[in-house]
Amino acid sequence: MPNTVLTVQNLRKSFKEQQVLYDVSFNVKKGEITALLGPNGAGKSTTIRSIMGIIYPDHGTIHFNGEQKSQIPKHKIGYLPEERGLYKNVKIMDILLYFAELKDYPLKKAKERALSYLKKFGLEGKEKVSIEELSKGMGQKVQFIASIIHEPELLILDEPFSGLDPVSQDVFKEEIRALAKSGTAILLSAHQMNVVEEMADRLIMLHKGKQVISGSMEEVKRQYASFKCTIHGKNDEKKLQSIAYVTRVEQTDNVSILFLDQNLSPSEWIRELPSDIHIEEFRLDRISLHEIFIDVASDRTLTREEEENYA
Amino acid sequence: MRNSLKVARWEFKRNAKNKSFVISLFLTPVLFILFATLPSLLSGLGSNDEPVNVNVSDPAGIWEEHIEPYISPSDLNWEVRVETMSQDEWMNTSQEDESAAVFLVLDEAAIHDGQVTYYSNDSTPDSFAVDIQHLGPPLQQLSLQHAGLSDEQMNAVTSGVQFNAEQVSGQETTTSETNSLERIVPGAFAGLILFSIVMTGMMIFQSASQEKKEKVSEIVLSSLTPADLMQGKIIGYFWLGMLQVGVWLIVALPIVLWRFNEFPILEFLLVPELPVLILIALIGYLLFAALFVGLGATIEDISSTSNFQGMIMMLPFSPLILIRPILSDPNGLAAQIGTYIPFTSPTVLIMRLSLLEEWPWIEIGIAITLLILSVWIVMKLAGKIFEVGILLYGKNASMSDIVKWVRS
Repeated sequence: MPNTVLTVQNLRKSFKEQQVLYDVSFNVKKGEITALLGPNGAGKSTTIRSIMGIIYPDHGTIHFNGEQKSQIPKHKIGYLPEERGLYKNVKIMDILLYFAELKDYPLKKAKERALSYLKKFGLEGKEKVSIEELSKGMGQKVQFIASIIHEPELLILDEPFSGLDPVSQDVFKEEIRALAKSGTAILLSAHQMNVVEEMADRLIMLHKGKQVISGSMEEVKRQYASFKCTIHGKNDEKKLQSIAYVTRVEQTDNVSILFLDQNLSPSEWIRELPSDIHIEEFRLDRISLHEIFIDVASDRTLTREEEENYA
Repeated sequence: MRNSLKVARWEFKRNAKNKSFVISLFLTPVLFILFATLPSLLSGLGSNDEPVNVNVSDPAGIWEEHIEPYISPSDLNWEVRVETMSQDEWMNTSQEDESAAVFLVLDEAAIHDGQVTYYSNDSTPDSFAVDIQHLGPPLQQLSLQHAGLSDEQMNAVTSGVQFNAEQVSGQETTTSETNSLERIVPGAFAGLILFSIVMTGMMIFQSASQEKKEKVSEIVLSSLTPADLMQGKIIGYFWLGMLQVGVWLIVALPIVLWRFNEFPILEFLLVPELPVLILIALIGYLLFAALFVGLGATIEDISSTSNFQGMIMMLPFSPLILIRPILSDPNGLAAQIGTYIPFTSPTVLIMRLSLLEEWPWIEIGIAITLLILSVWIVMKLAGKIFEVGILLYGKNASMSDIVKWVRS
């Protein structure tokens, strides 16, 4: 069982009258990648900024390595914010060493690591180049190196893939996986569901400040290991709703989507379908993480029950 | 504090390596020297270097013996020739002459009536009318001699009355000129420090604003607190200001020592009053630095700042309106009011203390206390504004935003 590096409990935050976080709780474990998901305005950045001590939560606790200290040791954390930039008129190496110095990391070691990462990211020999001469993608690579230069125990990446080309995305993914493998606890916020499904070990989904889904990737998949059935044809909604294992029906024109209970056996359920249903086209799919996300983001009812459970 | 020093070192190194800072560092004293010397150089360029040909008609025979020894024709830029030709002859020949020429008549009327007539051509400069006044004292002496006065009586009449100001301070007696320099030199030095660090203090504003614009603050704040970042900036730019003062002194001090070699400038500078003046300058810097760092955190785009922010930027220059009243009366009402207003206080105090013989210690004490209190309040407010403002990317803060942050 991996050690818990970060424990967030019952985080609440309001800006003026509006509450933006409702009792958010989760753990980030050593050597694991934890994904923080949610649509825009869900409270991801507020959660991350609270962890980083950039803003103060109204309620709740944040502990690092189980220590009961009120302040998180900033030098043990690497952080890549969503809104990121670098000083324009300074050299790459100077800025990397400055960030290492802020984290109390030995400068000699920082220089060696910086050179090694610059080489890894295709920026070899550019250590004396000024930031303003770099392309956006190159700048993002330097920002990423700056966040890991001091070998953090916990790495927080807020939308690390935004604005990256597919090749650079793969380089980042590989590096993030390598860091997790070497024992770094990683908290990652992202919009790309395929990337999250591919990389994350654990998942927290926020919606309007509430934690609507959380658990390991396996648990979440198991929890949503249900099916949805799409039927093209003119049918009565009430009739469809009365079919066994159907939890909910969404109907637009002649298309009906039947959300099914996760305990059903698909082949048996198909066999027992009423014969008078009008079927022009029929499809049975698993609900994907992407659909869960879209469902949450568009405020539909798929996860409403879950929401109620967590509220 | 350790984190603040890291930020301070970074800000110092980043700016000290910056080309435009280095250029302005050396260019500013050069410009000062240029502005100080250029007017006299330019006025020198306009002057006529060619000597005035002064043709002296000397029927009274007094030039060589009584006039020439008392004046120095070379200093006056005169080319003197004692003429035998008449005035009409000279006028005929001088019409063809394009150089400046004067025909001066020293006859009996010059001695007895004090009336000296001279004729000039078109090229004669206007300054000749002033220069010729130098002939007045020897002619007057000659006139008195002819009236039969003794040498003693003549001296009594021609020497006139002179007022010599002498001052007694403690046991030693000093002249008023030396005394005022003794006050002005440390005052000017403290003024230079205040000017330099307030100018670099204005760079804090740019630095905080740039940090927002370049979206670096969140990365930096993941390693330290907003208070560390703010303090670091204030310390770093203070060092830069002091570097600037150091360079200016290295460039300007030899020139000042050479130019005013008759005064012991260094002795005047290193007086017991100097620490008080420097203290006032430093507190003044802290006040404006806090103001600018807070203000910088509210602005991302300097081209669209509000009137309010523009007015705050002008605050360090507010004492300029008090210069004339203070110079005419350093203890006057305007000077006293300026002493107690925190934003004018540092400059007004330095100016007044450079002019006043007796320092108003009670006023100084109250003003410094008020200044320290203001620094504390402004630092607190700036801290609150900086904490929220530095992370507010993408827009300038409005006046109501700032009020909200301060209240929160």
